[in-house]
Amino acid sequence: MKRIAPIDIAGGILVVAFLALLPMFAASNYLTGVLTVCVIYGIWASSWDFMSGLTGRENFGHSLFIGAGAYTAGFLSSIWSTNPWISLPLGVVIAIAFSLLVGFPTLRLRGPYFALAMLSASAILQRLCLIFWEYTGGEEGIYGLDPLMKTPLHYYWFVLAILVVTVIVLTLLAQSHWGLLLRAIRGDEATCQAAGINVTFYKIVSLMISAGFAGLGGALYAHYQLQVSPPLFSVVVSITVIIMVYVGGIGSIYGAAIAAILLTLLTEMLRGFGEYRLWIYTLTLMLILFFLPNGLIAPLWRRLTERLR
Amino acid sequence: MTDLLEVNGVTKRFGGLTAVKNASFTLKKGEFTGILGPNGAGKTTLFNILTGFMQPTTGTIHFNGELVRELAPYKVVNRGMARTFQLTRPFVGMNLLENVLVACMSPRASEDKDKEARASYLLAQVGLGGRDKEPVETLPYGDLRRLEIARALATRPDLLLLDEPFAGLGSSEIEQLAQLIRRLHREENLTILLIEHKLREFMALVSRVIAMNFGEIIAVGPPEEIVKNEKVIEAYIGKTEEAHASA
Repeated sequence: MKRIAPIDIAGGILVVAFLALLPMFAASNYLTGVLTVCVIYGIWASSWDFMSGLTGRENFGHSLFIGAGAYTAGFLSSIWSTNPWISLPLGVVIAIAFSLLVGFPTLRLRGPYFALAMLSASAILQRLCLIFWEYTGGEEGIYGLDPLMKTPLHYYWFVLAILVVTVIVLTLLAQSHWGLLLRAIRGDEATCQAAGINVTFYKIVSLMISAGFAGLGGALYAHYQLQVSPPLFSVVVSITVIIMVYVGGIGSIYGAAIAAILLTLLTEMLRGFGEYRLWIYTLTLMLILFFLPNGLIAPLWRRLTERLR
Repeated sequence: MTDLLEVNGVTKRFGGLTAVKNASFTLKKGEFTGILGPNGAGKTTLFNILTGFMQPTTGTIHFNGELVRELAPYKVVNRGMARTFQLTRPFVGMNLLENVLVACMSPRASEDKDKEARASYLLAQVGLGGRDKEPVETLPYGDLRRLEIARALATRPDLLLLDEPFAGLGSSEIEQLAQLIRRLHREENLTILLIEHKLREFMALVSRVIAMNFGEIIAVGPPEEIVKNEKVIEAYIGKTEEAHASA
């Protein structure tokens, strides 16, 4: 529907090229590893933004889908020793199954039910991992997953390619008539109903899409860490993702991805500050959210390129 | 002519309050009917029940021969009954075209393949032509009402329900909007049910009136009969005893 401006495409290519070449300048497995995690957070954040950013139905348990994807990979690769490549599609499928489980009963309702159900579902899954420790490895989680690629650098490029595909697919969807409906749902559900739109259907399908990409990101993370553990389901992961989206500029998708990469990098770079790390990180976030309620990345990019559109 | 809408014994209670009491009436295809009544007579509640936004406590509603009670609002719309809201509810942050496009995405509009062209045409139909890219935030009230009508038309309704379209408008705006509604009725062969309590504009538009007071239908008939109906005059001006009591 809406065309994507050439300047956005040019900017996107530049950022991706920079990210792809970055490990070549400072070749170290440490940096490649950090960047891989950055990019995976980018997948998680942009997938959250697609559903919650567009429809305005905040999902406080995105870690449910992330963990579902990761644990699927864990079970398949480590316990049942399947080909590691099967983890990715099945991680997607299982995450989508969870989205239906939570979405069907709660997305028909208005009010906070969906947000709360997502929050509790992820917390329940985390507990279940501990309760059924014989199968899930409890606190330790599951070890010994097979890597998908021979070198960390190749894997980083692969994950980066998946992020690019994720952002492109989600952006095209968001710009389509479909995305327009999701934004309309954010605006006023009653008017959507009066316009003959099955609001619940669109919310559930958008959650499925969001969950699918989050599950893919979860499986990718599992095959990077070669290990999965219960904190993947934790509220901390969900909240971190939400903060990234807000800093990126809600509903922009690319903003979420870039904010996720920058904030993950920031956490790593602040390691030198030791115990002050969290102070600096939190203060930075508070300042951004306080002074820039619409976020930093997407509004900044729009303002910088205003004249070129 | 066949009955397009058949309302039978519809009652809605909110706790102890009966907002609509045993309402029964029919609408024929192509008719232009108005629901008249003072504030709080239950007109909007009746509208909400017809369009599925509320469920009646008792009673049935048949539309095109099909029972519509307990259908979700969007399903009612897709069977051909569209409405506008008394308080206009545009999608903020979208332009005029996008506001109408949303309704062009409804299953009932699935045969309109070029959604943009259809939405643009409808905007022109309601007198908002050439303003597709304007944001809704700056629209005056009268134009918002037109936008609401365009959105309702996008779902290709058989029956259009207009909830107080003239509320809050100036007299010249009212005249223009009335012309638009009259034209839609005539040219598009729409059946229209309109709520209004501005008597003058109302009586000039409709060919049949359903008068309500305290949730009950007190009279049905052509406008010239309704204005002479004792119960209607009572509802609007008050009983003589009350007039004495308050004097």
